[in-house]
Amino acid sequence: MNNYKPKVLIVDDEKGLRIGAQRLLEMEGYEVTTAENGTEGIKFGTENEFDIAVIDLKMPDIDGLEVLKKIRKKFPYTVCFIATAYASYETAVEATRLGAHSYIPKPFSPEELIANIKEGYQRRLVNLEADKWRREREERLLEVAFEKTRLNTIINSITDGVLVINKEGLAVLYNPAALRFLELSGIAVEEYILDKLRPEILELYNKLLNDTSNENKSYTIQIELKPNREFFIEVTASAVRHPGDNVAGVVIVFKDITELKKIEFVKSQFVSMVSHELKAPIAAVYGFLKLFNDDSITLTSEQKKEYEIRSMVRLDGLLKMVNDLLDISRMELKTVHREIKKVCLHEVISSILELFQLDINKKGIQVIFEKDASELCIKADNDEISRLFTNLISNAIKYNRDQGIINISLYQSDNYIITEIKDSGIGLKPEDKQRLFGEFFRAKNEKTKNISGTGLGLSIVKRIVDSYSGKIEVESEFGEGTTFKVFFPAMN
Amino acid sequence: MNTRKKILLVDDDLDLLEQNKLLIESKGYEVITATSGKEGFEVFKKTKPDACVVDLIMEEHDSGFVLCYRIKNDEHGKKIPVFILTSATYDTGFKFGASTSEEREWIKADALIHKPVIIEEFVEKLEAFYELKK
Repeated sequence: MNNYKPKVLIVDDEKGLRIGAQRLLEMEGYEVTTAENGTEGIKFGTENEFDIAVIDLKMPDIDGLEVLKKIRKKFPYTVCFIATAYASYETAVEATRLGAHSYIPKPFSPEELIANIKEGYQRRLVNLEADKWRREREERLLEVAFEKTRLNTIINSITDGVLVINKEGLAVLYNPAALRFLELSGIAVEEYILDKLRPEILELYNKLLNDTSNENKSYTIQIELKPNREFFIEVTASAVRHPGDNVAGVVIVFKDITELKKIEFVKSQFVSMVSHELKAPIAAVYGFLKLFNDDSITLTSEQKKEYEIRSMVRLDGLLKMVNDLLDISRMELKTVHREIKKVCLHEVISSILELFQLDINKKGIQVIFEKDASELCIKADNDEISRLFTNLISNAIKYNRDQGIINISLYQSDNYIITEIKDSGIGLKPEDKQRLFGEFFRAKNEKTKNISGTGLGLSIVKRIVDSYSGKIEVESEFGEGTTFKVFFPAMN
Repeated sequence: MNTRKKILLVDDDLDLLEQNKLLIESKGYEVITATSGKEGFEVFKKTKPDACVVDLIMEEHDSGFVLCYRIKNDEHGKKIPVFILTSATYDTGFKFGASTSEEREWIKADALIHKPVIIEEFVEKLEAFYELKK
């Protein structure tokens, strides 16, 4: 019994018995409290938890059974003995019903008392241990129940579809998202589902169920549920295994990959467009070289010279296009090294106009550059801003008519610095406006046949404008001219 | 060949147009050229060539297709071979071909000529067409 002294309560109206029992039990290592009547017994017995209580059945104030009831109600694990000289079958039944542990018939010998108390204390320990186990078990069950609802909540909240099918082909678990992927309006609990699956998915299920390799396998397929990349899904099926046992079922996860497929499509479209654009100049140069080496064709020296020059022009265009493509890819990958500092637009535009002076003069174009008196500057990388306006101004020259006009105005409006570049060139058809900033768009008609270009200039312009939180607008009338308006946020 | 056959060649790439013109001429044909679908049809109507070779992807979207369609809808066009000239084959991602009669009917062309043009192959296909017509 180590250091702990089991607590015993003696409730008896006989003083001699109280004192005698107290002395005896204290000598045996118990801590004893005595109560001289039923009222006191209830008070002590319910205020503190005793390991053992010995209660006299017949007391002047309150019946011992009442004391027993009260104590047991408060402390169900206090082991209670009823001490009585009037043991009858009825009182025994009643006392047991009320939770008494046992009888100690009066008068009792010291040995009898000690043996009973000792046995009672053992009972108390067993009861406490059992209680502990019961409590732990209850807690665990509660935890399990909680885990289950939590898991359900999680599964129901995810946007990917989840469906678990057992060996018998019943849907044992699914989330609402799965319905969309299965194109079903509902699934009943444990409904037979195999006949409602698409054949591709059913195939995965069967493959996993019939797999005897004991490895954790999973299969992934992609299904186009709606044509033209409107709804594309990825289905991953994995086997659910009992530990060390065969396949118990299959868990299927559905993922919406429509956006991914759209990006993939745009990418492959871009690649094929690029290939086509790169192939044209290569084919032209290749053709000239073949002519040079064709014995059945005799070329005059003028022809040879001309074809050499034409080859060079095509190669030059090819080189420019590759450079533009590299620039675009650098912008896409965000590997452009930018040196952000104050860039004043009138300076940039003036120096570009100087660079193009020769071309401007050659076409007899008149350039009018209007600018506000104040300096209009933005925070940007000087090279990129130069590139942007070079592309726009070079277009304004290339697509202009001879003796045409270019009007450039620079002004501030609200929080934007606006640059307008207006030309008197070929203009745009309304349907071409949307495609204008796309890769490889070039306004093509009789007039533009001899204008060279990569078809990437405006695409680069758009990317630069976007990267500085600006915007670009275009107004145009076919045959009359085009105006580009570039907006940049003003420096604070 | 007592009378030289007249071939209409339509391509918006001026370099390729000239190269193919020289190649076809070197095989003893007469070549007339046009640089757009619109011009191509005008020349076709005016000259009534013995064959047409049309570049598929020209300046205006689908103009090669449209030109073939217009030529094949013409009484004279029905009698002559119309070849489509293209580099847009499988390697560029534009899946395109005319291996079955339905496809040929659909694209309104009698054969597909791949760029760069192998002139011997072209002549073979062209002459095979005339042989068949005899």
